[in-house]
Amino acid sequence: MNETVKLGLILFLITAISAGILAISNEATSIRIAEAERLADQAAKQETLPNGKTFEEMDEKLEEAIIRDNPNITEIYEGYDGDELVGYTFKMNVNGYGGDIEFMAGISTEGKIMGIKVLNHAETPGLGANSTKPYFTESFRNKPVDQEVVAEREPAGENEVQAITSATMTTDAIVEGVNTAREVYNSTLLQ
Amino acid sequence: MRLSKVFYDGLIKENPIFVQLIGMCSVLAVTTSVVNGLGMGLAVTGVLVGSNVVISLFRKVIPDKIRIPAFIVVIATFVTIIEMFMKAYTRDLYNALGIFIPLIVVNCIILARAEAFASQNGVVASAVDGLGMGLGYTVALLILGALREVLGAGTLFDIQLFGPSFEPALIFIMPPGAFILLGILIGVFNHILKKKSKADA
Repeated sequence: MNETVKLGLILFLITAISAGILAISNEATSIRIAEAERLADQAAKQETLPNGKTFEEMDEKLEEAIIRDNPNITEIYEGYDGDELVGYTFKMNVNGYGGDIEFMAGISTEGKIMGIKVLNHAETPGLGANSTKPYFTESFRNKPVDQEVVAEREPAGENEVQAITSATMTTDAIVEGVNTAREVYNSTLLQ
Repeated sequence: MRLSKVFYDGLIKENPIFVQLIGMCSVLAVTTSVVNGLGMGLAVTGVLVGSNVVISLFRKVIPDKIRIPAFIVVIATFVTIIEMFMKAYTRDLYNALGIFIPLIVVNCIILARAEAFASQNGVVASAVDGLGMGLGYTVALLILGALREVLGAGTLFDIQLFGPSFEPALIFIMPPGAFILLGILIGVFNHILKKKSKADA
């Protein structure tokens, strides 16, 4: 047999066996991975909109129209307590210092920002990465949606949130994202 | 060849980080905290033992001419399996290590051990070599991760070590700090090794 063909066949055999093994481990883990992802997502919604008990994706056409106008928004869910609509969660993708920052923001039908949570980021450790810490995220809680949110070193006013020291780009990216969510809520979702 | 010697070589005498200086990219990148260092170290150890065993088992079947692609396939398979299981069971760690898990495939420690050891030695010796090299890598990551976390963030295993007045030296959790500390560690490690070999002689 031609040597090239022989070598090719052996290599094919090795890759075929590997593919088989991978298929088995994928079978063993895929359900669990999907479940872990769903739980993480659910937990993030719960955290950003604490008064919501169940979450449903909002009307597809309206969501599509909103996302077309605001490309930073990737997903909007409605939060319910029983049958009552209590608020919305916005999944956002904004441009930080080290790349994309994915975070979630919750706005209640009472017109308040209920919380934010950073899901994925590549910000500088010790600086922009502090955006995941409570001292930053908690400062958004209960801010009114009818005023533009601004970041200050020492927040005092009703619409002021904590700025992260030496991480202006990270702070600005998230604050701007929250303001986008706020505007969408005011212009489209508020009835 | 004595197995204890194989293990000792991997862990200390030919430590992949402090002595051979291979696979440095992931070392510098993931050691911002002890937990990340430990997680990455164990993932690499798992891949290294697995790929060493399989490559040693098939070392007489795999033709010499295609051994490198064959090794890469074996290594990539193990990395992908570990990635899937980390995603399923240790999600936070997986998120923290990010791109460096799939990149274990191209970590030169693993291919180097396949080529230099597993393809020429028996299964048991290869497993021990993988374990020794893997733990040598893990120890290096642990030390570097611990130092960087304490100096740069003032925490260890995420527990605050000092009072609120402690101002951590941020540089140590940023890339330059990794280079500085790693350089110092390599110096210290080699100094001790040299002293020891002199004492032995």
